Amino acid sequence: MSHVDDGMLHAYLDGELSPAEVQGVDAHLAQCSDCGRRLAEERALIARAAELLALAAPPDRELPPFRAGDVKPPTRLWWQVRLPLAWAATIALALGIGTYLGRDTEPPRRAETTTDAAAAKPRTPAEPVRGLTRRAARTPPAAQPAPPPRARADNLPRPRPEPLVSQADTAAAYAYAERVADSVAGITRRKASQDEHGRWQKGDAISIDSARRVLGADPLVVPGVPIEAFYRGRSIGYSGVVIVEQALDSTTMIEVINARSAPAVLDEVVVTGAQPVRSRPAEAAPPAAPRPAPSPGAGLFREVRGPLSSDSLAALRRLLRPLRP
Amino acid sequence: MSQDLAEVYRTTYRALVRFLYRKVWDAERAEDLAQEAFARAVVHKPDNARGWLFIVAANMARDDARRAARERRHLTLLTAEPQASEPAADDALHVENERTRVRAALEQLTPRDREVLLLWDSGVSYEAIAAQTGLARGAIGTTLARARRRLVEAYEAGQRGEHVARG
Ligand SMILES: [Zn+2]
Repeated sequence: MSHVDDGMLHAYLDGELSPAEVQGVDAHLAQCSDCGRRLAEERALIARAAELLALAAPPDRELPPFRAGDVKPPTRLWWQVRLPLAWAATIALALGIGTYLGRDTEPPRRAETTTDAAAAKPRTPAEPVRGLTRRAARTPPAAQPAPPPRARADNLPRPRPEPLVSQADTAAAYAYAERVADSVAGITRRKASQDEHGRWQKGDAISIDSARRVLGADPLVVPGVPIEAFYRGRSIGYSGVVIVEQALDSTTMIEVINARSAPAVLDEVVVTGAQPVRSRPAEAAPPAAPRPAPSPGAGLFREVRGPLSSDSLAALRRLLRPLRP
Repeated sequence: MSQDLAEVYRTTYRALVRFLYRKVWDAERAEDLAQEAFARAVVHKPDNARGWLFIVAANMARDDARRAARERRHLTLLTAEPQASEPAADDALHVENERTRVRAALEQLTPRDREVLLLWDSGVSYEAIAAQTGLARGAIGTTLARARRRLVEAYEAGQRGEHVARG
């Protein structure tokens, strides 16, 4: 059998091979020490490249609201802002509420009151905009006086007078914004847990041997708890991720995340809000604690998530031990 | 549809900023461009919003680089001497130096290798990278292997060069 080429090894380590291809590579690696050695080299190369790229990463800020393009001085933008603020503020409202957990770096850019959208209404084309009208009708009375309340709006720029898009486009944008707004409540509710959940994409199931090769180490598991499956994972800033599913009991599944980390990202602190415990483990609340430092021995980032309290998850994390062959 | 874009925004915004940052090397600028890309997505409603955003972002960054180059030429004519930079703390200086070294190493890669590497590092899958770059999906692993090797080699060569220059 021919050796596994570099591209195949990288795709293997990146978790980008089909299950059948993984089997083929696994079979070859089991009997070819040359390729086994090359696999270790390529794994180190991938980790090193990820580490270097992490040195040249932008600051990892919390997700900002989807802010309006023309809230900032126009001199900073070379493109023309084509949409009226009323539309943009509605979008900012729709996507921004509840998605802005973090550091309050740019308060003047935030457009987050419904009245901002409403205040701009008289400035939009004379043709009634159905989306906005329906929206305004649902807005609680306290939030829609004609002059916007000044309490939080002092720093917010006022809408510009001239809409720069056709009326049809504006109406479509309003209607669209309304549909987005309809989902805001749900987004807000799920935001924090999903945001953390979104850091770890779960891919195909893999064998324990593949998991070891991807990590270059024994995966960490909670001892004595049945292992259901190993999965490839993906996360920005980590060069190899394995997610281990373990069944605490017949209804409670936890996931142990093992990740080869790029050192530069380990200082980040993940701040998450309180969330309700959810029935499905994949959407369960992550611990609200700062991201843990790697243990010097294993060199793996580890995390446990599941439908348990953050204290319980932290306790499980302390129990983690390498799964010996 | 609407929920899809909100979801894409939540899961893709940081990745897009990361991707753009390695092209414009200015965090605020990268965020502005990412916001603009999403603003366009709201209007265009592309089917595959995530893939579409990275393509639009790549184009915007290219236009931005051209514009920045023009501005730099004007600036060079206007200012006789570069302004003395503020004395930076050691840590900040170190981080800045590292960033500069990695940036220099990235610039040693061919444009295609660099693009594939930056897309992968921003969380884009092989399949989506293939769709965006026109490469065959089966070529992505090979391209990444080469790009990673060259990045590490160029970075280490740069460090050796500095040590030689200092010593
Ligand atoms: Zn071999």
